[in-house]
Amino acid sequence: MKIGIVGVGFSEFGIHREPFYNVAFTAAKRALEDAGIDRGEVDSFILGGYDNLGVGRTISNMYAAPAAGAYLRHEIRVSDDALFALPLALMRLKSRSDVTMLLAFGHSSETPVELVELQSLDPFFHRPLNLTLPAFFAMQSYAYRERYNVEEEKLAEVVVRMRDNGSENPLAFLKDKVKVEDVMNSEFVSYPLRKLEMAEWCDGCVALILAEETIARRISDNIVWVDGVGWSVENYYFDREFHKLPFVTKSAEMAFRMARKDRKGVEALEICDLTADHHCMILEALGFAEEGRGWEYNGDVNSSGGALCTNAYGSTGAFLLANLAMRIRKGEVSCGLVQSMSGYAQRSCTAILEG
Amino acid sequence: MRVAVVGFGQTPFKTKRKDKTHPEIVFEAINSALEHAGLELKDIEAVVYGCMDPFDGIYCPERWDSTACGLEKPIMKISTGGTTGMTTALAAHEHVASGLFDLVMAVCVQRVGECVDAQPVLNTAVDPIYERHSGLGAIHIAAFQATAYMAKYGATEEDLAWVSVKDHKNALKNPYAHIKMDVGVDDVLNSKVVCSPLKLLECCPRSDGAAAVIFASEDLAKKIRDNPAWVVAETTISDSYYLGDRLSFAEWDSLAIAGRRLFRDAGIENPAKDIDVAELYSAFTIQEILELEALGFAEKGRGKDFAREGVTFIDGDMPTNPSGGVLCTNPIGATGLVRFGEAALQVMGEAANQVDGAEVALSHAWGGTLQFHTLAVLSSNKKLG
Amino acid sequence: MEIKEFEVWWKIPFKHSAGIHATKFFEGLKDRKILGVRCEKCGRVLVPPRAFCERCHVETNEWVEVKDEGVVETLTVTYMKFTGLPDPPYAVGVVKLDGADTGMLCFLGGVDLSDWRKVHETFKPGTRVRAVWKEEREGKITDILYFEPSK
Repeated sequence: MKIGIVGVGFSEFGIHREPFYNVAFTAAKRALEDAGIDRGEVDSFILGGYDNLGVGRTISNMYAAPAAGAYLRHEIRVSDDALFALPLALMRLKSRSDVTMLLAFGHSSETPVELVELQSLDPFFHRPLNLTLPAFFAMQSYAYRERYNVEEEKLAEVVVRMRDNGSENPLAFLKDKVKVEDVMNSEFVSYPLRKLEMAEWCDGCVALILAEETIARRISDNIVWVDGVGWSVENYYFDREFHKLPFVTKSAEMAFRMARKDRKGVEALEICDLTADHHCMILEALGFAEEGRGWEYNGDVNSSGGALCTNAYGSTGAFLLANLAMRIRKGEVSCGLVQSMSGYAQRSCTAILEG
Repeated sequence: MRVAVVGFGQTPFKTKRKDKTHPEIVFEAINSALEHAGLELKDIEAVVYGCMDPFDGIYCPERWDSTACGLEKPIMKISTGGTTGMTTALAAHEHVASGLFDLVMAVCVQRVGECVDAQPVLNTAVDPIYERHSGLGAIHIAAFQATAYMAKYGATEEDLAWVSVKDHKNALKNPYAHIKMDVGVDDVLNSKVVCSPLKLLECCPRSDGAAAVIFASEDLAKKIRDNPAWVVAETTISDSYYLGDRLSFAEWDSLAIAGRRLFRDAGIENPAKDIDVAELYSAFTIQEILELEALGFAEKGRGKDFAREGVTFIDGDMPTNPSGGVLCTNPIGATGLVRFGEAALQVMGEAANQVDGAEVALSHAWGGTLQFHTLAVLSSNKKLG
Repeated sequence: MEIKEFEVWWKIPFKHSAGIHATKFFEGLKDRKILGVRCEKCGRVLVPPRAFCERCHVETNEWVEVKDEGVVETLTVTYMKFTGLPDPPYAVGVVKLDGADTGMLCFLGGVDLSDWRKVHETFKPGTRVRAVWKEEREGKITDILYFEPSK
């Protein structure tokens, strides 16, 4: 029993003056229009996105559920980066749903994200040290660069490539190109990470309509199949290596196993490069580049611009997923992998899509 | 694909478990469930975790608690307000029902005692643009229900008080319940008015603890125990957000709609007759009354009489909350899972306060500003439905 | 050994964007106007106004002014002090304004709140009430001080 994507809807990704639920409404409407169905034909709504501090409202799905169209219908929310909602959507479709909407909501502009993320640290050992997300990512960057002797220029080139891709993607948030000098002269956020080496926060929502195969074929002639999903978690305590992301490897292994595929079949990647160093580490963890050499990967990666161009707190993974799905639909590639991450580089979700 | 509950564990609920940190409480509940099922953590293939972050003062506590759930397992976080406990169970159930996994654990934790005062936290759920200034918390919303119901059906304060008497009496038999106090109607009526007409003894406590439920696919479930609790049906519903949208505060129509769907899925034509016991999310006395009527156990306006007449007591025709319910134990994000687990114990025949011969149980949770409901039917007989 | 306890405060600032619809509503309050939107599909007038009708899942852009008086649907008087919430006693309720199809959360006042039974009698569901406006209005929800019984 295959599960496929039959509709996709994006809101603009930028800084919104409307509350997140109104932005979500736009994405949901567009996805329904794209699939050519009404909200009444959707029997399940799986929301993905952060709660309380993430958007300043506790039980944020109270607002997002009606926006998705879940009025008097089944609705549930995965409280994480929205790619993590995809496995639940898949499972629901396999067990009892005909048509499911996955609605991803991301909103950063109202929120002091670094301060919010800091509250996820335990109040005894880690929070009092004010270890913010950028500081932690910087520790990872430092470990990576030291371990593999990676010059900063190489990482700047990664950023340039990603920003080039973003400039060609009308859906991306950051559409300006940058030069190597711009990156290497940008201010330090937390040594050694510079501002332009890090993803910038924005707002935006994505909705996808998924259906079980028999019904999917009635809705669309151009279905993007979700062949496999995988998700895994790293240790919370710093009893872990900083230059590697083994939990990304595990999430991918699970997805490949479910899809009964291997790396060779994958033509395009969309990965959650919250920093230029993560871009490299993720490619290495996924096995598409050798250890320490992710920066020289010249395959099809992040044609959307990646997280480095579009990072809406909560919907980044779904943005990457939807971009990949659109490419497969257009026939640009026939098989791709999308990966997302959350927490202090602690949790990862991976999915394999096919046309 | 038939799925059953093969294990349920909980921690004894207290105002504050000073002896344990967040992941340590989760660890305790997980071990309790594993012991009940006769399994080890390595047997569990995936974990679904639920919690309402802000009460515990930890943002995304699943990150910290994943250390207690078995690192590297696929762990998914669910958070849907008060229904979290049951939507976590629902998601775990779907992990198995989908055929992707055979043995999955749902675990929920809530340490409301870590938060000095729960109402301001609940106030952060209320829309900051139009409504938060009103100082609304959960008690106010239940008070709205009580005021409307009493005006419409002539219910008395005493009618409501009887629900509290029943729940407290039941809790005395439950070793895990938080509040263990034998109360009489006068005790309830004389307790301080919090949000009129509701008084202190008509309101739930703030509880600290965790619960875990283990789900198994059909063949595996039969190997693990000879009395699994089969999940016959489950459903969840979501209404619009604004409190003022509710057609009436004297009825809970969104619950009635969810109930209809549930009973249809479960093949139950006469809920009052076919359901032997119900664990309802009644955090305030009035809510049980509304829930009884919405689910068809009582006719409109008659729910107010059930406790007073003994119908909902353990030896009555429609026993509810034999565990003592939410009125005596409320670890908010975990409460739904405790309801579900207690319902499972009833049909397993292993509950501390067992309803004689219970074969079919209903479990319920609500959340938001009266916005969400999640329901499930469990049975000892897998032929049902 | 006594277990340590750490006192921690969350002091996290948010700047919530009200969006077009709520902003228009608040501007209306300055002129003692209460605005709602009518859904073109189901015809319901929704107060407070919102960008879309949940039932029909369509955008709502037809503005309607509703009266500043209406009917009490329910209420409660709070007597306990909760951290960071208003000092008791205060009364909140849901009022369905004339012309609106949904109720609105608001304060009730203008009466002695010490005996809740009296307050519940004065404001019992079905009672007509009307808004008491602040003299100097700022375009905030508190421009309506409370609703009192209509004489």
